[in-house]
Amino acid sequence: MQLDIPFIWTALTEIIKALPLTLLIAFTPILLGLIIGIAVAFIRINNYKVIAPLANFYVSFYRGTPVIMHIFIIYFGVPVIFESLFGISLNLVPIAIFVIIALTLNAGAYLSEIIRSGILSVPKGQIDAAFSIGMTNFEMLKRIVLPQAFASAIPNLTNILIGFLHATSIAFLVSVKELTGVANIVASSNLKFLEAFIAAGIIYWGVTVLIELIAHFVEKKVTAYSNTGVARN
Amino acid sequence: MGTFFEPSLIFTSIPKLLSYLHITIEILVLSVALGLLLGILIAVPKLYNVPILKEIMTVYISFIRGTPILIQLFLVFYGLPVVVGLFGVDITRMDPFYFVIITYTLSNAAAFAEIFRAAIKSVDYGQTEAAYSVGFTAWQNFYRIVFPQAIRVAFPNIANTSISSLKDTSLAFSIGVMDMMGRGDTLISATAHALEIYLALSVIYYVIVLIFERCFKWIERYLNRYILKEEPSL
Repeated sequence: MQLDIPFIWTALTEIIKALPLTLLIAFTPILLGLIIGIAVAFIRINNYKVIAPLANFYVSFYRGTPVIMHIFIIYFGVPVIFESLFGISLNLVPIAIFVIIALTLNAGAYLSEIIRSGILSVPKGQIDAAFSIGMTNFEMLKRIVLPQAFASAIPNLTNILIGFLHATSIAFLVSVKELTGVANIVASSNLKFLEAFIAAGIIYWGVTVLIELIAHFVEKKVTAYSNTGVARN
Repeated sequence: MGTFFEPSLIFTSIPKLLSYLHITIEILVLSVALGLLLGILIAVPKLYNVPILKEIMTVYISFIRGTPILIQLFLVFYGLPVVVGLFGVDITRMDPFYFVIITYTLSNAAAFAEIFRAAIKSVDYGQTEAAYSVGFTAWQNFYRIVFPQAIRVAFPNIANTSISSLKDTSLAFSIGVMDMMGRGDTLISATAHALEIYLALSVIYYVIVLIFERCFKWIERYLNRYILKEEPSL
């Protein structure tokens, strides 16, 4: 077997067409998961009775099981529930929707941990100070806690973004035509597996490096006001 | 796919799946142990600023961090036979288990190398100077001064990487390894009930992860035994 280098380029142009779908599957769950994450983080920080243990179990279960399980369970489970309870067949629903639902639930669990540690990183004295000058609960969150929590969460958020970009590759196992899925199709129709997966790897790598660069830039922006560490930044 | 949900199937399939647990654990233990060794080799050029080698390692780490483990698995599975084929060795018939070990070792090594580097950098250089000033050799300085402090910083990250590696082993079945997931696949074909099998697998993975987390917590407490509890200010 010989490596066909020109074919890597051919495969690359073919596979990159799946990039928009991949980014959609990767980033929609993060945006939706942010809502779940904020809600769960507040439930856990305020330690509400009954729902706090449920929230704890949700986070620990999703963090303790592989993503592939979440995708398979939603992919096989949701249609069964809909058919047996409501008699509705979900055969026409695109598979990508199931993947997005699975990843959203997963994102909620991971993001709640990040938001929680971000919020807890804001000193309690600042919250007291905000209340003492007459801010409402909402104002305090919006103007004092969340901006700082967000700034301290950026490195973790970057890791989550990259993690989800990579997690979308698992969607190929339920035959979604994202980067890995298309790479597999290109590979099997031309019988050039290595070349196709090298091309897919290059695309993933490129997008990851781009995310890292953007995150670095954003982090510089949002932490510009802060004066911590050993050197003025 | 089954039309009815049978909860009893979850419980009956767990023992069948557990009989393949040792494959999952073997993949994990081998890839973490080899990854730790390889990680040291990758970290050294970056710590000692070896030119060229340092840049190669940076690109390697960036590549591993930049691609999904599934793609890495396929690259090793299809690429390694081509590479060793250049030397006239034929490994196309090698057990996929070894490809999985190689992939996860390469992947873990990159993560561990970054962890080692950050941990060793966290120890103040003044301590190394102090060690030299009392006549320690470079090796004595490393294993008596730097290492015990660095491992304390590195361990929680090593534990996290090992746990995500455990979860990643669930992808090994995609190149045909007969681990718990592979066994689950055959059970699904036999019973036509996918959901119950995947729920059973989730329970198993969850319990194993919880056990590992508990063990790692113990080790962490042991490594921190000389650290004084932080007094609350005021």
